[in-house]
Amino acid sequence: MSDRLKPVDPRRILKRAAGLGAIAGLAGVYLSVVGIVERFETRNVVTGVAPLGLLTVAIAILVAAYVAARPPRNWGMTEPARGHKFMASLLTGAAAGLVLVLFLLAVGALDLRDIFPNTTPGLVRILSLGIEGPAGWAALMALCLSLGAVAGALHQLRPRDRQPLIAAMAAVLLMSLMEPFLNNVFLQLRQNALASFIYQRSGLTIPAAVIVFLVVLAVSAFQTYRGAATRRRVAALPENTRRSATYVALFLVGLLLLVLPHLMGVFLSEVVGTVGLYILMGLGLNIVVGYAGLLDLGYVAFFAVGAYATALLTSPVSSLGLGMDFWMALPIVIIVAAITGIIIGAPVLRLRGDYLAIVTLGFGEIVRILLLSDALRPIFGGAQGILAIPPPVVGDLRLAGPINLYYPILAFVVLGAFVAWTLANSRIGRAWNAMREDEEVAAATGINTTNYKLLAFAIGAVFGCVAGAFFAVKIGIVFPQRLDLLVSITVLSLIILGGMGSIRGVILGAFVLVGLPELLREFAEYRLLIYGGVLVAMMLLRPEGLLPNRSRQRELHDDDDSAEVQYQRRVGTETGAPAISAP
Amino acid sequence: MTMQSGEAREEMAPATAEPGPLMVVQALSKHFGGLVANREIDFDVPRNSIVSIIGPNGAGKTTFFNQLTGFYEPTSGSITFDGVDIAGLAPNDVAKLGIGRTYQNIRLFKEMTVLANVMVGRHVRLRSQWFQALLHLPSVKREEEETTQRARELLDLVGLRRRYEDELARNLPYGDQRRLEIARALASDPKLLLLDEPTAGMNPGETAQMTQFISRLRVELGIAILLIEHDMKVVMGVSERITVLDHGERIAEGTPEEIRTNPLVIEAYLGKQATV
Repeated sequence: MSDRLKPVDPRRILKRAAGLGAIAGLAGVYLSVVGIVERFETRNVVTGVAPLGLLTVAIAILVAAYVAARPPRNWGMTEPARGHKFMASLLTGAAAGLVLVLFLLAVGALDLRDIFPNTTPGLVRILSLGIEGPAGWAALMALCLSLGAVAGALHQLRPRDRQPLIAAMAAVLLMSLMEPFLNNVFLQLRQNALASFIYQRSGLTIPAAVIVFLVVLAVSAFQTYRGAATRRRVAALPENTRRSATYVALFLVGLLLLVLPHLMGVFLSEVVGTVGLYILMGLGLNIVVGYAGLLDLGYVAFFAVGAYATALLTSPVSSLGLGMDFWMALPIVIIVAAITGIIIGAPVLRLRGDYLAIVTLGFGEIVRILLLSDALRPIFGGAQGILAIPPPVVGDLRLAGPINLYYPILAFVVLGAFVAWTLANSRIGRAWNAMREDEEVAAATGINTTNYKLLAFAIGAVFGCVAGAFFAVKIGIVFPQRLDLLVSITVLSLIILGGMGSIRGVILGAFVLVGLPELLREFAEYRLLIYGGVLVAMMLLRPEGLLPNRSRQRELHDDDDSAEVQYQRRVGTETGAPAISAP
Repeated sequence: MTMQSGEAREEMAPATAEPGPLMVVQALSKHFGGLVANREIDFDVPRNSIVSIIGPNGAGKTTFFNQLTGFYEPTSGSITFDGVDIAGLAPNDVAKLGIGRTYQNIRLFKEMTVLANVMVGRHVRLRSQWFQALLHLPSVKREEEETTQRARELLDLVGLRRRYEDELARNLPYGDQRRLEIARALASDPKLLLLDEPTAGMNPGETAQMTQFISRLRVELGIAILLIEHDMKVVMGVSERITVLDHGERIAEGTPEEIRTNPLVIEAYLGKQATV
């Protein structure tokens, strides 16, 4: 399509840049008003240089200014000249600066603290870079302009030079955000000296920041410049060598997974265990939503059923009082799970899309409310739940505590991933996909849609229930408060974030959405805010998810050109219709 | 289902042993509330034949089709396919008995690959169950390989060259999508192939190719084909017998020559003045 691009229209780009700048400025105002700027003033990215609070505003402006320099692809324009790009970035910075200065003026002139308790003199001091009066406003404006200039300067570089730089900057930020986590690991490994070399006063030290920056820059540059050649060389290796290399890599990964909890210590093992449970749930819900296309918003129901069934069967003080062994109870839980899946699935067989979502949402709530209800208190224990759930026992070993429980969870995650993968690549997975695409046609092709829907619900339910079972033994007690809608939303979000229908995506999504918030406890107050922001950004920038399956990625990005054009490009132009004529 | 059709079913059962027609439709009616979409239609499809149903837009052709394939349950009447009464069966059961179909407005599994579309079509002929798939049994693997093989043969048959097979179905040009739909329908090894306006939206050259291809399918696969068209010219060349519907009723049935000269048909298509 490149031959049909319109010539660039600088005025339109500058207009958009001003708009984006204003949006970035408003984002900065928002970050200030909700208190992020002031709250993280003392948290450093690079100690003594960049406090995290103000940096959040700076990043918003930087991103806007970077985006502003390039017209969106659907405008169908040629690349703007370098000067225009720089102007656009600078203008974005200026617009953002203007909005922020106006905000400063407003805060100074009116006392807004009744409405926005965070608009304190402290905030004003931070935003005006510690300088009093109009000089401070000028300083803020200068900061915004220089941010625009930095973004504009990035655009002057060739893309292959630009990408390593951006990667290196992102790495420094990430490294500093991971401070509580990495510090913990270093202390676990008794590397106190290393820890204090890298981190000082909750931020990277300047030497450490420089090292991280340079290392990532070098690696990333190597990848951009030599990556293709290296990949070619690897591809040229004989089949056998490559296969054994894969096996060795798998073996090493396996070994690492086995020793991991001992490296990480109790707290991190606990986090990874929780992530494992969410991976299991994600794999299960992915079968229902990703493969079969049934939007289930009440997935927590299965998690709850699994947790309560385990509690009832294994706890000596439950209403059943059986005190069964966990491994004896698990098969029963799985059968109960499958039946629950079918019971919940059966009434919604004829519903699709939004309607299905609403009804399943209701089911999730019904289960929670039943567990909480007074009428069923003798069985489920009401708000107190069920106590004294014993840990699983293997031989003489009681699998109590996060480090021991890590292993059975890991085993079930591996098993679950295998099950999900093998089903997806079979006749079953194909039938599910067909049903997702067009239910009527799938039926006319001979697929028993009723059975396949119920199968998806039942298998999804088993995954959820197994996760619930481990949740119960992990904390030793189940009660309804932890089993709310938020669990369903988190599981669905991690699938969307990772990429619908992608197993790798589920794993990554669980680490990002469940693991990271645990590690970044200091941001706990703003957790849902960040969640929402991340999801919105994902939908706009990468709707297919972080690690999508192949066809879905194509589906969403083919829209950049017409499908026909894409097709012609891939297959070549000789798409005549020769073969239908009889030989 | 009315009493009458029940009796008809009993009468038909012995009569449809091998040499009889593949499909016999008797007095089939479909009402939507007060609207009569099909009224008492009699119709049959001999084995290894090509027959057509034509009629102006809105004549009730697609409604008739949808009853044959289990999408609609008939209000009354019977449909006997290969000795089995299929009226009111679910679409997947009808497909299993050996009826494959295409759609007037192409309905592929758009976000699946070309090859996967055809493999889904083969679904009813596959045996492996979910627990076997879970265990990754060798029989499952073998079946998958055979299915892939068969799907590729079908793609060759309809003229979609192999290198399209990993393409998403929605990216195919219009004519190729029609071919893919036919390949998907053929994948279930149908005894009867229903084609709903297979040449809709095609230019005269493509239309000629398609009609030629339909004749060839009958010869090569030994199946019966039922065509729906509103364009009379298309069906005249290929069909042995033609049934004409208008306002939900059968107004004529016969060879193409008989239909061409039938005044009722001319009236239905061209209006009353033309009959003079």
